[in-house]
Amino acid sequence: MRFFARLRAIPVSYRVPILVALLMVAISAVISERVLDRLSRTQESFIDGLAGSYLDGLTAAVLPAVLRGDVWEVFDALDRSQRSYQALSPIEAVVTGADGKVLAATDPTRIPSFSELPEAYASRYGARTVTFDREADTGFAFRDLVYQGQKIGAIHTAFDASHIFAERREILATLLVTNGILAAIFSLGGFLLVRRMIEPMRVLEDHMRAAANGVAEPISSREFPSRGGEVASLFNGYNALVHAERERANFAMQLAEEEKLASLGRLASGMAHEINNPLGGLFNAIDTLKTHGRTPGVRDTSISLIERGLNGIREVVEAALATYRPERSARPLSADDLEDVRVLMKPELRRRRQRLDWQVDWPAEVAATIPGGPVRQAVLNLLLNASAATPEAGAVGLRVERTADQLTISVSDEGPGMPKDSIAMLSDEDPGPAVRTGRGLGLWMVRRMVDACGGKVDVEAGPSGGSVVTLVLPIPEETRNERSHAA
Amino acid sequence: MTLRYPATSQVLDRRSALAFCGGAALSFALAPGRASAQEGFKFGLTPVFLSNDLELLALLRAFLTEAIGEPVELVSRRTYQEITALLVAGQLHAAWICGYPYVQFKSELDLVATPSWHGKPLYQSYLIAAADRPTERWEELKGDIHAFSDPDSNSGFLVTRALLAENGLKPEGFFARTFYTYGHRNVIRAVASGLAQSGSVDGYVWDVMREMEPDLVNQTRIVRRSEWLGFPPVASPRALAGDQRITRLKDALTAMDRHEDGRKVLALLRLDGFVATEPALFDTIAAKVDTVRRFG
Repeated sequence: MRFFARLRAIPVSYRVPILVALLMVAISAVISERVLDRLSRTQESFIDGLAGSYLDGLTAAVLPAVLRGDVWEVFDALDRSQRSYQALSPIEAVVTGADGKVLAATDPTRIPSFSELPEAYASRYGARTVTFDREADTGFAFRDLVYQGQKIGAIHTAFDASHIFAERREILATLLVTNGILAAIFSLGGFLLVRRMIEPMRVLEDHMRAAANGVAEPISSREFPSRGGEVASLFNGYNALVHAERERANFAMQLAEEEKLASLGRLASGMAHEINNPLGGLFNAIDTLKTHGRTPGVRDTSISLIERGLNGIREVVEAALATYRPERSARPLSADDLEDVRVLMKPELRRRRQRLDWQVDWPAEVAATIPGGPVRQAVLNLLLNASAATPEAGAVGLRVERTADQLTISVSDEGPGMPKDSIAMLSDEDPGPAVRTGRGLGLWMVRRMVDACGGKVDVEAGPSGGSVVTLVLPIPEETRNERSHAA
Repeated sequence: MTLRYPATSQVLDRRSALAFCGGAALSFALAPGRASAQEGFKFGLTPVFLSNDLELLALLRAFLTEAIGEPVELVSRRTYQEITALLVAGQLHAAWICGYPYVQFKSELDLVATPSWHGKPLYQSYLIAAADRPTERWEELKGDIHAFSDPDSNSGFLVTRALLAENGLKPEGFFARTFYTYGHRNVIRAVASGLAQSGSVDGYVWDVMREMEPDLVNQTRIVRRSEWLGFPPVASPRALAGDQRITRLKDALTAMDRHEDGRKVLALLRLDGFVATEPALFDTIAAKVDTVRRFG
């Protein structure tokens, strides 16, 4: 199992050639085994035939002499036969008589006439005509001499089989070398072929990885295979996907921009109203100054009135500046941000004659550690949505709780309840489908902020109708540590 | 009628003829019936005859045919006994036989001529053993497997038999085993190969073969040489005493060294020539027969 697991870990461009090579080795082993088996059987039957005719010849030559017990004639026949059967390379032949004793051997100095045949001779034969002793490279054959149905003696022969085994070894070596070369060629070819085949897949894989990291680039025409086919259509499909994704992203950006402009418009008109309100008072005060400026009491009152009116205008302008100046959005969230939201919301609330329940628990000693800009924007978006959902003269609520490790922001309204798509966009695992409906980009920006902070969103029905959207944002570990060190 | 060698013998090369026949049974023994044919001169050859060289046989036949004036048929058999029997029975006109059968059938045979070797019609019998065997005395051959040439051979059997008899021994008691090879060359091969540890062999054959096949003969050495004995003679049946062909044969043989073809034959046989000898030349052999007879 571990072997297969390891095998799977090897890249395909190496795995396939290795498998091809292994297959070649297996095939060559089987073929070699068959060839050698066939060869050895052919050789053995050939040798059997040769040995059979050798024994036939010997039998015919020595039988009369054995009958007479004529030592010389038997020896003479054996001596001549050794030269007549060169193909078999006889080493030795021994003829025994009816009593089992040696009549004559081709080498009488080793096996003298009239001696007992050595034990080893009787036990060296197998079932076949020829028995091979591979260690000694020798073949043995045996034949009873039968005359008129009676055994009158026997012939024992041994011959050199080294050329047979040498031939086998030679063929084995040839097979191994040939198959080794073939296996090498096939595995190299397989390697190159597979490399070539999976090259487009690799291109696609690289692009997919890049896309997963946020940079989806279409596959350039250079990397397209010269001939069309499946790969080309696959690449085309991928490129179409990339283009569609880009269009969608552009569209979403455009929508976000529009949404931003729309809310900006709403805020701007609210702000104009906010500025316009004190302006009437200011002009009145200026008129009063023009007319009764010489009266110290009236003048002081008017100047004070003008000052407060201008302060109110400045607050509004500063809040707007803080919201729409990007360089200011990177600093940590602070109570001022929430105050800014309150200021920004004021005109809209007033327009709709709504009340804001403001419950911010922001202990002064606790440092803010969450990026201020996105959170403020998110809170503003939620409050604007809540205000839009709540009927005129209703109430919206903001509740902020700050503990050591998390920040909880709840926005409540008195509306008819949030649409499903909006809830899904805020709290579903995969907000994709909800986003694709193209609605509620303000909420989408909230969701993106929460995801970026690693927090979560809950949407539930409020105690007196309407909805409560709760953002839970964890305060990052390192910033808490920094804080404790600082403390 | 013409005499031809059977085709089978002609395909035998010189080497295999030597190896196979080994001074014994000539495979080109003529077709049955020839021997008993009335026409033609039948000349018997025993294995004492040195070589089975086809060239020699052709030369000898041509020489004898010319000398006798009619076709000559050369008759060979495996054993001495067969040739001797044919000769005594009158089925051969003459034969080159051994001194031992001659003395056995002295009353029925006439001497025609005897070969002369090194200037004398004499030869020896050798007891031989393997060349690497440090044997100096024949008594040390006791217990051997011994190769004899032929039971009717003087040098290849009788001499050793008589030697043992003189010492109160018999071959079957002195030697562990004995066997016959029916050819002097075969005795040398048997001893050289180790099939036999010692052998009784014709000294003339051993000496001449040492020139022709030194590799074989030098694997053996002489343990004992016998005294000089009458060389195997050419004899004819006494019944043919008046036959002109026998006279012509005798004249031709004794004059062989003066005839061109005859000298070729003699050169192949390594002989000086043929001489007319008295039967007394073989008395020493007869004495050995007596010794053996007395002992057994």
